[in-house]
Amino acid sequence: MSQPVLVAQNLTKTYGKNVIFRDISLSVNERDTIVIVGPSGTGKSTLLRCLNLLTKADSGKIWLDGVEITDPTRCSEDECRQRIGMVFQNFLLFNHLTALDNVMIGLTKVKKMPKEQARRKAMEELERVGLIDRAGHYPGQLSGGQQQRVAIARALAMEPRVMLFDEPTSALDPELIGEVLAVMKQLAREGMTMLVVTHEMGFAREVANRMIFMEKGQILEEGTPDDLFERPKYERTRQFLWKIAELHGRKAAEENG
Amino acid sequence: MKRLFFAVFLLVVVLMLVSCAPAKPANHLEAIKQAGVIKVGTSADYPPFEYVENGEKVGFDIELMTEIAKRMGVKLEWVDMPFDSLIAGVQQGKIDASISGFNYSEERDKVVDFTISYYTQEDAFTVSESFSGTFNVPEDAANYKVGVQTGTTQDGWLTDNLVTTGKMPEANLFRYDRVDQVALDLKSGRIDVMMSDYDPARYLVKSLGGLKVVWHGVLTSGPFNIVVPDGDQELKAEMDKIIKQLQDEGFIEQLIAKYIAQ
Amino acid sequence: MLIEFFRYIAAGTATTLAVTLVALPLGLVIGLTFALAHVYGGKVLTQVMRLYSTLMRGMPPILLLFILYFIISGSINLSPFWAGSIALGVVSSAYQLEILRGAILSVGGEQMMAARAIGMSRLKAIRYIILPQALRMAIPPWSNEASIVLKDSSLVYALGVAEILRRAQQLSATTQQPFMAFGTAALIYFILVFTANRLLDYVSQRTRIPANPLG
Repeated sequence: MSQPVLVAQNLTKTYGKNVIFRDISLSVNERDTIVIVGPSGTGKSTLLRCLNLLTKADSGKIWLDGVEITDPTRCSEDECRQRIGMVFQNFLLFNHLTALDNVMIGLTKVKKMPKEQARRKAMEELERVGLIDRAGHYPGQLSGGQQQRVAIARALAMEPRVMLFDEPTSALDPELIGEVLAVMKQLAREGMTMLVVTHEMGFAREVANRMIFMEKGQILEEGTPDDLFERPKYERTRQFLWKIAELHGRKAAEENG
Repeated sequence: MKRLFFAVFLLVVVLMLVSCAPAKPANHLEAIKQAGVIKVGTSADYPPFEYVENGEKVGFDIELMTEIAKRMGVKLEWVDMPFDSLIAGVQQGKIDASISGFNYSEERDKVVDFTISYYTQEDAFTVSESFSGTFNVPEDAANYKVGVQTGTTQDGWLTDNLVTTGKMPEANLFRYDRVDQVALDLKSGRIDVMMSDYDPARYLVKSLGGLKVVWHGVLTSGPFNIVVPDGDQELKAEMDKIIKQLQDEGFIEQLIAKYIAQ
Repeated sequence: MLIEFFRYIAAGTATTLAVTLVALPLGLVIGLTFALAHVYGGKVLTQVMRLYSTLMRGMPPILLLFILYFIISGSINLSPFWAGSIALGVVSSAYQLEILRGAILSVGGEQMMAARAIGMSRLKAIRYIILPQALRMAIPPWSNEASIVLKDSSLVYALGVAEILRRAQQLSATTQQPFMAFGTAALIYFILVFTANRLLDYVSQRTRIPANPLG
């Protein structure tokens, strides 16, 4: 068993008097697709942002490919972030750049790739998410689902070791969720190492190999999706998952007419 | 990147200008002769002494100074400034000298020096033609609203003799940047009396119309002098010499005939 | 008669434009640097910038102009034109600081976050992501500031720089026709400001981001 791609140990984050999360430890192996679920406000997004050092955890350590990235002498923050991809709930595309430029800019300005080479790579990634024909469009001219797919392409272009998804479909209209989930499922099948915070249970059951339930800043339960859905250890877990599934089922029923 | 370049470029330009300081000559006059040009300050809004006509600076002082510079063997560079900044300009060395209808005054003498007189000027009190009051002696001004150009010897006289002594309320003394502004307010009736130099008053009376000079004589004025930096004996001596020459040659009389005797 | 007036006063336009073209870019360089320091510089720097902004904008520009002029020309031997233009630039920098700071803040911290997520350093993010958006946003209020600097350039008349206003004063003194003289000056300023605004409108149009969600 090779070493895990990403390891977090005893991460704690407080904000003033509020404890966002305490003593969180997890480990992400190559090709894992891990889904994190839990009630809103339990610190899932903050946890994700701590993993790629956008936010500083108050205590705890993080390793990427065996290198401790929370130690500033081992690797610079910016450098580490090149190897961790992140997709945000609000897409956060760069408004002044076309879709193609959005995907390219990391390659040309951060990786210092020559322009032609970067362009080709960017086109490949856009192809991968099915948006090659929108390469010249600006974010304002794209639908939410298209914007999110470009955001995924942008993150993928950097060839990260692991992709973090922070509620990638929560800000989308229901009809647009499917196209984004399709891309994500494809990625999982291709073997991308992924950590996804989401409410989309369908996604979890289809492609996730591990699931984590977080509540009140703690990891309550961990296991395979089947474990948590069929044989949850805690009543709370069952309550939450079945509530979500019910909503999801109702939504699916509505959509299917 | 472009922004950084521009900032550096600007810095370099500023530094270049700063480093353009000339080598130390023996004294101010030397410096002027070395540079080949004399910078003279004036406030070209004071006919008939210095004013602008057809895009050119003309006037008694203008022509006089032009001739003086010629005889000094240097080019003349005019620096036009508001009247009340001229003394400071000479003090700070922004200009080498100033000619602008300056009367000698003790206050000015504390901070600058004067050449010998090149002309004698009288003071005048001017009123509108419809003026119905009495004006026989200068002190009569205390009974009216009086306008004056700021920083002039007339300003000093009115302040010291009428306002400070209580003969005239402060609120009745109106100070203006330029003498033509005083005349305009006089004509419109906002003030009753204007105190100024005599020749400019005559010019304004002729040009504006509707005004008349009710009193003129030597009160504060008297001699017109050129202003030079405090303690600058060499420049003063040089200019004094030339002024004397011009007086002897009748040059100054010609100027009077051209600009004043009308 | 009007033609003569116009010709003499209009000759000061070159000086007026020169003063503006020194002051405005200087104000931009300083204002942008300080705006970045304010937003990204950390606690101490932010406080210093706030002090600068409050101080410089807290008095009438002409007063600040005189103070700066005497400080500058007291220490370095510059002509009134350069000392005055530089002083005007410093005055403008405080207002430009606020304009640019507002624009940078409206681009938002999330754009910064997204830039950093793909491995950009803060500096790169500012240069490639924040500023391109912020500067576009800043054009309308900046255009206003440009007009103000153009009009405030008249203040250097008091320092002995022969621009439009001073020439109008001279004509008024000679001809006793203040309305003609100052009216002509006003007309010239109006033309200059109008042209400048149109120009900046055009720039704004050309650099517009299509369908920008940030407006």
